[in-house]
Amino acid sequence: MKLGTMLGDIAISLFSRPSTERYPFERSETPERLRGLLIWHPEECIGCGLCAKDCPAGALDVIVLDKEAKRYQLRYYLDRCTFCAQCVYSCRQGCLEMSNERWELTALDRSTFEILYGNGLQNG
Amino acid sequence: MSEVVKKKSFTIPIGPQHPALKEPEHFLISVDGEIVTDAVVRLGYAHRGIEKAVESRTWVQSLYMLERICGICSHIHAMAFCLGVEQLAGVEVPPRAQAIRVIVAEIERIHSHLLWLGVAAHEAGFDTLFMYSWRDREKIMDLLEGFSGNRVNYSVNVLGGVKFNIDDAQETAIREAISFLEERTHHYLHIVTKDAMFLQRTRGIGVMTRSQAEVLGTVGPTARASNVYRDIRVEAPYAVYDKYPARIVMDNRGDLEARFFVRITELFESYRLILEILETLPDGDLTIRMPRRIKAGETISRVEAPRGELFYFIKSNGSDTPERIRARTPTICNMMSVVKLLVGHQLADVPMILVGIDPCFSCNDRMVVLNRDRKIEKLMTWEALRQYGIDYYKRRSA
Amino acid sequence: MGSTTTRDVLLSLTALLIFPGGLFLLLVGLAYEWIDRKLLARMQNRVGPRWFQPVADTIKLLAKEEVIPDSVDAGLFIGLPIVALAGVLTAAIYVPFPGLPSVFSFPGDLIVTIFLLSLLTLCLGLAGANTFDRFSLVGATRALTQLFAYEAPFLLALLGPAFVAGSWEINEIVGYTDGRWLFITQPFGFIVALIGLIGKLEIPPLDAPEAETEIVAGSLTEYSGRGLALFHLGKGVALVLGLTLISAFYLGGVATPLLFLVKTLALLLVIVGIHALFTRLRIDQTVGLWWRYGTLLVLVQWLGIILWQEVMI
Repeated sequence: MKLGTMLGDIAISLFSRPSTERYPFERSETPERLRGLLIWHPEECIGCGLCAKDCPAGALDVIVLDKEAKRYQLRYYLDRCTFCAQCVYSCRQGCLEMSNERWELTALDRSTFEILYGNGLQNG
Repeated sequence: MSEVVKKKSFTIPIGPQHPALKEPEHFLISVDGEIVTDAVVRLGYAHRGIEKAVESRTWVQSLYMLERICGICSHIHAMAFCLGVEQLAGVEVPPRAQAIRVIVAEIERIHSHLLWLGVAAHEAGFDTLFMYSWRDREKIMDLLEGFSGNRVNYSVNVLGGVKFNIDDAQETAIREAISFLEERTHHYLHIVTKDAMFLQRTRGIGVMTRSQAEVLGTVGPTARASNVYRDIRVEAPYAVYDKYPARIVMDNRGDLEARFFVRITELFESYRLILEILETLPDGDLTIRMPRRIKAGETISRVEAPRGELFYFIKSNGSDTPERIRARTPTICNMMSVVKLLVGHQLADVPMILVGIDPCFSCNDRMVVLNRDRKIEKLMTWEALRQYGIDYYKRRSA
Repeated sequence: MGSTTTRDVLLSLTALLIFPGGLFLLLVGLAYEWIDRKLLARMQNRVGPRWFQPVADTIKLLAKEEVIPDSVDAGLFIGLPIVALAGVLTAAIYVPFPGLPSVFSFPGDLIVTIFLLSLLTLCLGLAGANTFDRFSLVGATRALTQLFAYEAPFLLALLGPAFVAGSWEINEIVGYTDGRWLFITQPFGFIVALIGLIGKLEIPPLDAPEAETEIVAGSLTEYSGRGLALFHLGKGVALVLGLTLISAFYLGGVATPLLFLVKTLALLLVIVGIHALFTRLRIDQTVGLWWRYGTLLVLVQWLGIILWQEVMI
């Protein structure tokens, strides 16, 4: 039975830097596979809509502008998304990916949470 | 419960809002001075209706709903569901996917036990151990974030396999994290078994004999600390546990110290398992194609969550939405043992005994209505439940 | 004594209210609280609060609405924090804080000071007993139990130096201990005094009366706003005064402000170390520990002192 078994830890910590990351002044590098904002690459899209069907939160809508010319739009509701990446997996063409840089997605205005991706309309 | 309240006893409510609880539940503790004379538990504060919600979602969508039953054991819920559905559909998942699932499950077990160690130390008033174990837990969180992209709710499982692969960079990260943690775990085991003041709060408190544990139906490390041989990974191996067997960790003292010992020793077991699987990780695909409509039928799937046996009943009617999914989580089994054990202890031991079962209240709020007179179990529909609630509160305020 | 002039009265008032008592003492109490929290955080590998955190907390609390529960005696509810703070501030005028001789002194003021310091705990206990809230009642019971347990050995431990100095007046005792490091000649008394202080101030590991994970905040559960701020300030001041007393008696006197700073901070480091190292004890373990080891140690110490005096004289 010992008394004060954490003395070593305490003594070392007094003379070393705290392990707290002082966000937002210090930011550590994000890992490569981080699931951040959803990004849509419209070139390969065939409009199957599997991403929208499989989304557990109903955060995606595929809008058909012109089926033969393969012009689609994707409405992405950022505030419904749970960042599960099921849509990325479901899409057989590989059109969707989750960004690993854009993950600070808070906003004061709710309107920025509805993102419309489209051919020629590369916003978001 | 009404009899307890009418008696002239001094009742202290622990919860629903209380610093001792991380999630809301209500414990009505009757005390006489400092000694607990009676305890009544009332659950249901974290009920979200997930089992009902999955009845109107496709199989793919339900996976994510069930994953969010609990934040700490999210992967194991998803894994139990996937194993059950794959069994129903008669699909054989490639071995590499199963191995990756088990690796993540063991990493989750490590995460859960380290989290529990911190919370238990905080309940005892030993904040230093809390801070240090949670600092070390950050290593696991970073590991999981690097592997799957999220710190909780990793969403590694898909029906038919896993989404992410373990490449060389991942493997190096896992090995590095495990070697760091192994050293720290030895230190924590030393503290938990040798620190005199900490032992004063855990030794001989909340003793549950083996027969009591069996009668009360406890599962998981709580039962194993009372010398009950109960571990699904050993008794009914699933996924790759038949090729990489887990060793059961038991202790025969049955008090809080035994539960600490069992959980920390299980950490070592998890480290060993992960390294063993990494050595001989089978090659192959990550997923296999699953049909959208699952064949009609019912199945059960049992897995070993960090807290005990997790039991899923899955019923399909041939369509692309589940007919009924019932998740029986381990905390609901262990909850009654808390109520039984609290009597006779001091008030200061109440949070310690409660945390000794590793409670996960989000997991344990499911809906079962027992009709006591006719001994029939009844499930209520959504509308009936809502109406029942409205009538109940109308009667109460009348 | 002569006639008191307005100058004397003004000087006394300044000493009581601004320096070295009153406002200055409150600020020093807040500073010591910050050092306590920062040291604890660094020991736990965290960052800890910035220097103005206790000041900000106090200002925020004073600005908030005070919620008075239905079932309490409103007079007691509002009055008890004021009495507690007044008690500890009054104790300061007899203590050599901050390294200058105390403002007033009279024979026997050691007992008065210790009583005034424990007025804080008494008020906490009464405040807890004032309400119907279960948590406060349990906290009040524990606070009073701990008070009864820790008062006697703490007083006996402080009387050790008083005995060898041959006086019950703090000024004279400090005059005697100046330069004499009594913690070497009376080690048990020092240990008992230190642990007694930890128990008196309800610092972990002896903080069963305000165990956060069992009874929310003990006696202070119902307090918010001004009442909580005053109790908070009172605890900070009690910490400073307790540290001053023990350093003055056992660590060779506090002749100058610099020595005061160094010695009290060293003692604070020890107390924070004890805070970080140990688990909280249950109330029965706290009292049991004390009535077994604490009293024994202090009685052994007294035996030693008396025998030594007999041998020398």
